[in-house]
Order: sequence, then C-alpha cells, then structure tokens
Amino acid sequence: MATTTLSRRIFLKQVAASSGALAVGAGTVVSPAAAADAAPASPAPAPEVAAGYESLSPAEAAFVEALVNVMCPADNLTPNGVDCGLADYIDRQLAGAFGRGDRLYRQGPWRSGKPQLGYQLPLTPEQFFKTGVATAQAACTARLNKHFEDLSPEDANAFLLEVAAGKVDDARVPLAQWFNELVYPLFTQACFADPMYGGNRGKVFWKLIGYPGLPAFHTKNMVEFRGKPFPGALDPKSIQDFS
Amino acid sequence: MATKLPKRNVVIIGGGLTAALVARQLTAKGVDVLVLERGGDHRGSAAQKIPNQRDELRWGVHNNLVQDWAVETFSLRHSRKDRSLPVRRMEAFLPGEGMGGAGNHWNGQSWRWSEYDPTLRTRLETRYGKNAIPAEMTIQDWGVTYAELEPYHDLFERLFGISGKAGNIKGVIQAGGNPFEAPRSREYPQPPLEMTEAGVIFSAAAEKLGYKPFPMAAANSPAAYTNPDGMKLAPCQYCGHCERFICEANAKGTPQVLLYPMLLQRKGFELRLHSHVLDISYDRKAKRATGVRYLDLQTAEEYEQPAEVVVVAAFPMASTRLLLQARIGEPYDPRTGKGVVGRNFCYQLMSHTPAFYEDRWINPFLASGSSQTVIDEFNGDNFDHQGLGFFGGGYIYANVTNGRPIGSRLVPPGTPRWGTKWKQADADWYAHAFQYSVHGSNYPHRENYLDLDPDYRDAYGQPLLRMTYNFRDNDYRMSEYVTKKAHEVAIASGATLVSPPNPRRGDFDARQYQTTHVTGGTIMGADPKTSVVSPHLQHWDAQNLFVVGASVYAHNSGYNPTGPLAALALRLGDDLAGYIERPRRLS
Repeated sequence: MATTTLSRRIFLKQVAASSGALAVGAGTVVSPAAAADAAPASPAPAPEVAAGYESLSPAEAAFVEALVNVMCPADNLTPNGVDCGLADYIDRQLAGAFGRGDRLYRQGPWRSGKPQLGYQLPLTPEQFFKTGVATAQAACTARLNKHFEDLSPEDANAFLLEVAAGKVDDARVPLAQWFNELVYPLFTQACFADPMYGGNRGKVFWKLIGYPGLPAFHTKNMVEFRGKPFPGALDPKSIQDFS
Repeated sequence: MATKLPKRNVVIIGGGLTAALVARQLTAKGVDVLVLERGGDHRGSAAQKIPNQRDELRWGVHNNLVQDWAVETFSLRHSRKDRSLPVRRMEAFLPGEGMGGAGNHWNGQSWRWSEYDPTLRTRLETRYGKNAIPAEMTIQDWGVTYAELEPYHDLFERLFGISGKAGNIKGVIQAGGNPFEAPRSREYPQPPLEMTEAGVIFSAAAEKLGYKPFPMAAANSPAAYTNPDGMKLAPCQYCGHCERFICEANAKGTPQVLLYPMLLQRKGFELRLHSHVLDISYDRKAKRATGVRYLDLQTAEEYEQPAEVVVVAAFPMASTRLLLQARIGEPYDPRTGKGVVGRNFCYQLMSHTPAFYEDRWINPFLASGSSQTVIDEFNGDNFDHQGLGFFGGGYIYANVTNGRPIGSRLVPPGTPRWGTKWKQADADWYAHAFQYSVHGSNYPHRENYLDLDPDYRDAYGQPLLRMTYNFRDNDYRMSEYVTKKAHEVAIASGATLVSPPNPRRGDFDARQYQTTHVTGGTIMGADPKTSVVSPHLQHWDAQNLFVVGASVYAHNSGYNPTGPLAALALRLGDDLAGYIERPRRLS
C-alpha cells in the first residue's frame, strides 16, 4: 500500500502544479481551433524517438513519408505528417510486436472469407503493410506514370481516395482493405497515441483538439468545468511527463 | 501424463467475478474453494499504475488486458451453410484474462434487469397472445423469478458500492429514478455520480418529450466507500479510463479490488493463477464430474485436480466450450431444435447518433464509465409492441464514457477522413459532441448457436469454439425503431447538427466492438430438454457440476449483464453450501 500512496501523491502534486500554472490563462481560454486560425502552427518539436527507420526500406519510407504528408499536410493546425512523427510511429509499430502479429491468431488453414470475419491473410501486419505499399506504388506508376511520392499533393490525395474507395484494383492484393483496415488505423493512432510511440510529436494533436492527456480530474473539476472550457486541455500531459 | 493432485471440495474454473462471489459465500461457511485462473494478477502492474495505465494504444486499441487471440480465438460463420473461419483478432467483444477476469476492465454499468426478464416468454405470451412469438425466436423462461434474486441483487450492490437513484422501492415509484425498474427493497448504497454536460443536455431534451431520464447505476464510486466485508473503494477521478482499463485509483468496483484480496486472506481459499483448464473430467457411468485437468502455464506441467464439486464460471464462450469438449449434455442441433449445449447464443445491438453543439462544452474526458444519463422507455417490453413486428428494445443514453482521442472523436457526417478539413473538424468538435446511443437487446434465434469448430484449434491443440451467428429481422427492426427514438431526443436537444439515424444494419461484424455482453450457450431452465442447467444452476446430467455466468441467460436483454449474473453467483454460493452438506438434486 505504501507505494500506491506514494505514487498517488507524486501524481497529485504534478497535477496540482500543472493546474496551477494553467489557472492564470483560464479566463482567456479560446477554442484551440480558433487559436489555430490566428497563427501558423509552431515549428515541429524535437522527435521523441531516435532517428532512423527500423522496418521501412528507403523506397517504403519514401512512400510512407509522402502518404503521411498528404494525410496530414503542413497547415495552420499542425506541421506536416513527417514532422509530427507519423512515419516514425508507423515504422515502430511495424517493427514491433504489432507488426510481427502479436495477439493475432496465425494458424492455418488459410482461407479467404467475408470481410466481417476479419483479416484472413497469412501475412504478418508488417508483411501486409509492405505488400500493400509495393502494390499501391505499382498501381500508381501504372496509372499516373509517376511514383506516389512524386505526385502533386492534390494527385496523391486523389489516388489515396481511390484506393480507400476500392477503385484501385489489384488481382492479388486487397488494396482497399489494406488501406482501410491497416494504413488508416495506423495513421489515426500515429496522430493521437501517446507521443512516446513516436507520433503526435510534442502532443501536437492533443493540443489541437484539446485532450488534456493523463491527469485525473476529480469530482471538483468535473463539477467546476462542466459545460466550460477545461484549462488542462491547453497543456496536455503525456506518459513522459509523469515518468 | 497429468500429475494427480489431492482432492478438493469445490473447484471453480475461471477466476472472474462470478467465481469470487461464489467463493465468498462458500468460504464464509467454512467450505474450502480452489479457483483456477489462466491469467495472472494485474495489481501493481503497468496496467494499474500511473502513468502507463493511461496508455490508450496499449490497453484501449491493442487490448492487452483481454484474451490473447494468438493463443485462443473463436471461429465464425453467419449461417450453417457457410464455412467458418477463425476470427484472427476479435474486436466485437473482449473476454478478460487474469484475476478478476473481464470484471476488471468493465465500464461499471450496473443494471438489474426488468422484473419480467426471467419470465419473458410468459410475459410476451400473456400480453400479445400464445402465437405472438415467432417459432424461430427461442425465448424461454429461466426457471427463476426476479423476486428470488432480489436479496442477492441487494447484496451485490452493497458489496460493490453501486451508485444510483432508485426508481421503484417495493413497488413505489421514486422521482428521479427509473420508473421501469424492477422493485428493489431499498435505495442504492451510494448516490449517483456527477452528471456530465451531455447528461444535462440529454435530460432536458428527454423531459421535453415526456420521458423520465435518470442516472445510470454505476460501480464507479462517487465517494470513499467501505463495503460490508470492510473492503474499500476510493472516489472516482472521472478520468475516462474505465472500459478496457484497470482503474488506477481503486475507484471502480471490481473483483480485483473488492473480492480477491479479501478471499486470499480467508482460510480455505486458494487461487491458482496461470492455470489453464483443458478439460472437465467426467465419469459418464456415475454421471459425475470427477475434477478438472489443467495446464500450469508457467511450467508446462499438466495436472489432474479431483473435486467433489466442479463449478464452471468462465466467460460464456469458454464455459460452453468446456461442456462441449467434455461431452457433458447433448450438443444443440439447429436442424432439429433438439439438444442443449450451445443453444440460445446471443449478443447485443448498439447504434449511435452523434450530435454536435457549437456552444456547449461536452468535455468528453471528464467522465467515468457509467456517469451517463438514460431513458428506459424503449427497452425490453417497457412499451407496447403490438403491430411493431419485433420484440425487445434498448435503453437510450447520453453516451460519454471517455474522451480518449484515438477512439472517441466525433466529426460531422461528410467530413473527409484525413487532411486539413479533417483536422479542423476534430479541433472544432472534439469537445463539443456526444452520441445518443442505443444499448439494444438480442433475443435468441434457432439458427444462432455455438459448437466446436471442425478445422481450427487453439495453441493447446483443442478445437476452437465456433459461432454460427448473425443478426435477424427482429434485431434490425428493433434497432431501426429505437434508434429513431434516440434520434428524436437528439433533435429535441437543439443541437447544432445531428447525424442521421444510423440503426444497426448488415451482418454481424467481428471487426467492430459493440458490447462484451455475449450470453447463452449453457442456459438455465426448468426443462432438461431445453436447458443445460436447472434453475439452481445444477447440471441436469451431472449433479455435482454447476455453471454460472452470462452463459446461463436464456436471452439477452437491452441491459448490461453484470447485475443478474452477480446475483445468480451469490445465490449459487449459498445453494452450494447446502449441497456440500447434503449432496442432492437441488430444488
């Protein structure tokens, strides 16, 4: 029990410190979106994982970097996807337990089936991801005579929309499933997971939407800020802040 | 070769909520109990400690507290004409693992079911006529009445410090509570949790339409609470990390906080962790369960554990599989409608109507798993189904349990899925939206059942449990009707924008989470021809074998299942104490 009490005390102290700091600005809270309209997003903060890719080859990295920059363009809301750490996140997930098929039933016989029965390929998620990248790249080159990373942002976006809608057929690789059930979830996780996984660098997406991160709120806050802007949303706390 | 261990009095398979409640009653009367649980003890682990407890990716997306699908999953087909395939990563429901089971990672939504639920067939036939229930809808009475369970509901609520507002005390309707509530003997042990902003908006809209909103009963403690066993809950932090998470504040009523630490101090109680039960040993001639065979997952040693009494208290899927594998009781056959094991497998149907409020701060992260506001007018048989073409229903509620940002962002319909407009919509609406959700029933269907898969096996070499399951016309009609009602409440709330009604459509989808509430497979009843266990949860074939949990439910209502299974487990504990004294068929 001693450790529980101790860690809780540290936790509360940190919460108190952060709430205290924020209270100053509490009277002038504006919606993060409104704030974003006013000024360009601040420069990208330093990465929270070491530089270099663990899983992606140079060609795959070029595709993924282009993809995250199309899906998360630099604008007045955030830096571009690469600078938000989104490619780092995807690379680390593919190189890690998820990519290897952790917690995925991988016994045969392997058969295809209705989509509602879920993923049925014998590939690990890392292998499926890479198979999809190669297939999408080939389809892109065949259609547009350019590598995906060489397309204009508008053309690249249009190509991804076609892939997502199932309009880029491949006889062997289910590209729509690849995009919608593997790439897209990895993208949203990269944006919104704790920054320690490499994405959401500097908590940029948490700040954007106003998610306060780890702190507990207590009944007092629950009542005081019911229906009002919550000051903690302006300065989110991540796992690193409590470690 | 399994090593044979000394015989024990009562052996319970599965170390979740029901096992702990049975053990509480038995050990109090001096009966020794051994619980076998495949998982470990999560106390003090990263799952239960700040900062890692708040890791949405690890617990909320990768679901690292639930059953490891690489080891064991379920196979699925929508119809028995199809070939089944293994669900390689199940998202639809989340069985737990470890001391406390799924009872650790629940939201805490604590319902008693309707007074008529255990006698649903009688109720519907009385109200709508003998022939009103379609032949393929295999609703049947449970062989028990709500009145018999009421004292055990009351005990469970005291043990778990359930918070709420009574709607019906001994038949007298109480203002502010659920007017459709089954009569209770007294008020909840704790007052309701704080209402969310979404609840404030929902209540006003529901009242405008003449409905009676009330706070959902919760196992998330509004204040420091000490239960009758002297076990304590801390006050809820409203941190939005309940379902899929273990509460780091010890504020959520769970077996891990309230039951196992107490049981582990009791003489005669033993919990063996990392013990995966492979089979129930069954003497077919004597019609007795002689014990269980299990694998120690830390040593790979196999053991035979003899027992006077075996209680199957696993997740519904695992309980059903154990009986099928041990060939105890006749497997259900949908072609003839005969047989019992695997029968009446049910799930539930959720639907959601997001609504957006530009001038209101919903702050979805300021919530607990059960700080929700509800109406019950369109649940079960709380409304007249004459001419509607379906039975059942669901409760409608302001669904804010958390603001975890990977999974809980709402954007208006038509928003692009990525790009600047997508980011802008997330920024604009994250704190300003919530869903009007329907938590809907799923009544049994003759063609929905469980059996053993002919092709696929788990990591121990045993057949996977196979679900032959789909939603049926009754379900779609129910969802259509109740979702429309939820949409009307959203419209009445004066929202800036309300998404169109989106009732449940299409085939059952293993990729989408709805609820963890699967029921049936080893159902209870008064007739051995249509039930696996008796109204006292005693196996009809093997007198010293008992089954408890949602697998004994003969149908699934629109309510969350924890209340009745907890009441049934406490009653079983008392029944078993009597049985041990004088083994017999309980009546």
